[in-house]
Amino acid sequence: MGVWQNIWAVVRRELRIWRRRPVYLLGSIGTIAFCAIFFLTFFRDGLPHDLPIGIVDNDNSSMSRNFVQQLDATQLGKVVKYSNFEEAREDMMSGKITSICVIPEGMYADVSANRRPTFTYYLNGLYFVGGALAYKDILTMINLTNGAVQRQVLRAKGVNEREIMGRIRPIDIDTHQIGNVYTNYGYYLTNILLPGMLELIVIIVLIYSLGTELKYGTSKHLVQTAGGSMLDAVLGKLLIYTLLFSGIGLVLIILLYHWMGFPIAGSIWNMFLAIVLMVLASESIAIFILGCLPVPRLALSIGALYSVLGFTLSGFTLPIEALPPYVQGLAVAFPLRHYYLFYVQEVIFGAGFAGWWQEVIHLLVFLFLPLAVLPRLKGAFINQNFPKN
Amino acid sequence: MAKKDTYLRTWLHDTWEIGIHEFRSIFKDGGVMLIFFVAGLVYPLLYNVIYQNGILEDTPIAVVDNAACSESRRYIREMDATREVRVAYRCMDMAEAERLMQERKINGIVLFPGDFGEKLAHMETATLSVYCDMSSFLYYKNALMAVNHVMLHEIGQIQIERYAAAGFTDIEAAQLVQAVPYEENNPYNNAFSYSFFLLSAILFVIIQQTLFYGMSLLAGTMREQNRSFASLPDRMHGHGVGRIVLGRGGAYWLLYMGIGMYIAYIVPAIFGLPQRGDFFDILLLLLFFVTDCVFFSMTWSTLITKRETVFVLFLFMSPICLFLTGTSWPTVAFPGFWKVFSWLFPTTFGCQAFINMSAAGGDLATAHDQMIALTLQTVIYFVLSMAAVSLENWVLRNKERIREEGARRIEARFGVDLTEANERDLRIIRGE
Repeated sequence: MGVWQNIWAVVRRELRIWRRRPVYLLGSIGTIAFCAIFFLTFFRDGLPHDLPIGIVDNDNSSMSRNFVQQLDATQLGKVVKYSNFEEAREDMMSGKITSICVIPEGMYADVSANRRPTFTYYLNGLYFVGGALAYKDILTMINLTNGAVQRQVLRAKGVNEREIMGRIRPIDIDTHQIGNVYTNYGYYLTNILLPGMLELIVIIVLIYSLGTELKYGTSKHLVQTAGGSMLDAVLGKLLIYTLLFSGIGLVLIILLYHWMGFPIAGSIWNMFLAIVLMVLASESIAIFILGCLPVPRLALSIGALYSVLGFTLSGFTLPIEALPPYVQGLAVAFPLRHYYLFYVQEVIFGAGFAGWWQEVIHLLVFLFLPLAVLPRLKGAFINQNFPKN
Repeated sequence: MAKKDTYLRTWLHDTWEIGIHEFRSIFKDGGVMLIFFVAGLVYPLLYNVIYQNGILEDTPIAVVDNAACSESRRYIREMDATREVRVAYRCMDMAEAERLMQERKINGIVLFPGDFGEKLAHMETATLSVYCDMSSFLYYKNALMAVNHVMLHEIGQIQIERYAAAGFTDIEAAQLVQAVPYEENNPYNNAFSYSFFLLSAILFVIIQQTLFYGMSLLAGTMREQNRSFASLPDRMHGHGVGRIVLGRGGAYWLLYMGIGMYIAYIVPAIFGLPQRGDFFDILLLLLFFVTDCVFFSMTWSTLITKRETVFVLFLFMSPICLFLTGTSWPTVAFPGFWKVFSWLFPTTFGCQAFINMSAAGGDLATAHDQMIALTLQTVIYFVLSMAAVSLENWVLRNKERIREEGARRIEARFGVDLTEANERDLRIIRGE
């Protein structure tokens, strides 16, 4: 039998297995569909709004009430009033409010008399995004309040409005967010989390698929189906799984950049390439893990530990350069890291081939991994001389 | 001894035996040991090593200074001095800076327009531009914070100089420029460290997930070998579901109280994470949380019929659980459906309670709501796991009868002989 017949026989055999045991399709298509629905709806708003900010108003003057009203009117904040600091502190500790502003007693009188009362605020930095955004909101409001006081004084002195602006705010900042104009958390996280989930699924499902052959002793039958050639057996399995996973990958890219309209500076076609390469690299990792350790349960556990680490070491949340030096090098061992670097060049900067060709090479290097373990895997498949559980 | 054992004695004896038997199964199973002891003990250490620094400092930026005036130069110097950024390149034009950004040598660009100094001299608002690399929000945060802090400082500086020139005294000028000085406190996470908030949450997610995977692995194995844990010893005559659930649960509970104490007390101590909570408050939290996790895992592991399928079907839930804790994306911003969905997981409440008590140093009162939620969850999952075991046990005892009845019905309807059909199916499955 020729190579193609062998591969075709393995593909037909695999399709029969899929039909008999829904876990393969459920574990790939079902889980990625759940993840897509989860991440796309979870970060629906892009930026949180109406974050609860605690206020302890010890002044209760027109000025302090005005401040509270304005803070409440911002899109980010929603004011929760407290009569004393102790209560507010308890609620901040228990995560009910993101921050506390303490308006000192007699603030209005002090401002009028030029006595410079101190405004104090407390943040809970343990609830990260909420704390950081509330910080930004409070800082803006307190600076606006200071500006308003100054404006009043200048107006009283008869300075005209245009000059007042120049005096209160001599420097202004014009911010440009490259690649994510609306500072949308949903775009930022989903762009990498969904491909990351795909990497995880590819590794787990493929190890499981090859591992079950060992476990139930059907591996010999698999090799026989492929005409006795281990290479053909693996190629047949890879062919059908690559089609499945690449299909999922392409749908993900279309979902993100076409249907959901995520901003993309470069071309969607290049992202197709990126995701297919990532799928291939992840498949190689899966075969490598099982080849090194042809015991299904151990290989699966190792695969699980490895693929969950991939999210952290891709460096899209905490950048790699902030990790300890001896961990930084590890990042290259994860296909998701290279996908992320590819994505930065294509989606954020639109740099094209010149930007990401190195990542293509890195991802292709992964494809050599299975070759190293193929003989060992063949031995395990034919002799079935490893523990099955 | 002829004395008949009381019900209580029998009950305790059975529970003890079942627990001991479960312990034996756990320690005999290499896969479960790998999950419990390698993942449960090493993963927390690994994450701590990775997130050890937790703070991104000195993000490289480029400066395009078209103004070249004393103010812009001072601005650049002050930015370079901040903790957040360092001025790595000074570029002649934007094109050069953009190229550097695309080559990933810098993560931000600050542009001073040609009229920057001029506008300041005319007492107009001078605008400078910041271009942020959004590939990681921490780059954006760093660039923005550095530029804004220097701006606020510079504004104060420039205004005071101007008022001084206009004949105001220092005190008068300060009163005008900043009528209400402010004081900033970030008591629990001073530097907005990434590790403090994320690690505290990850630690408790690890407890729940490893327990769930390990227990499912074992439950799947038993079902595969047709000796489901739900099958009761014959002498109990179908009674004793409670003994099974508590006996088995007890084994995991003991094990995980140990692992939980290691994760909640020792790991943070090794890596210098804040441990401001009271020892006994956190012990109480662990008691509640681990009990909840045991019944949670027992309930959901009912779905696992084959040993390894737990990874194929549920591994992807680990990152999702982390998001559902509300430590990164705030709970108030959860869409309604996902908020209710998050109540399914012990981590949703456990992580928040742990953060409030251990990292923020609150007492039990600050975790009041979470403790109540954990208790409710425990009760519900206990009832559910009892129900699941009873149901499975019933199915197991009546499996033959159910199958035969079904077969008879189909045979009667279609007039086929199923024994023959089964043979044919098997041949197809074998691929012959």
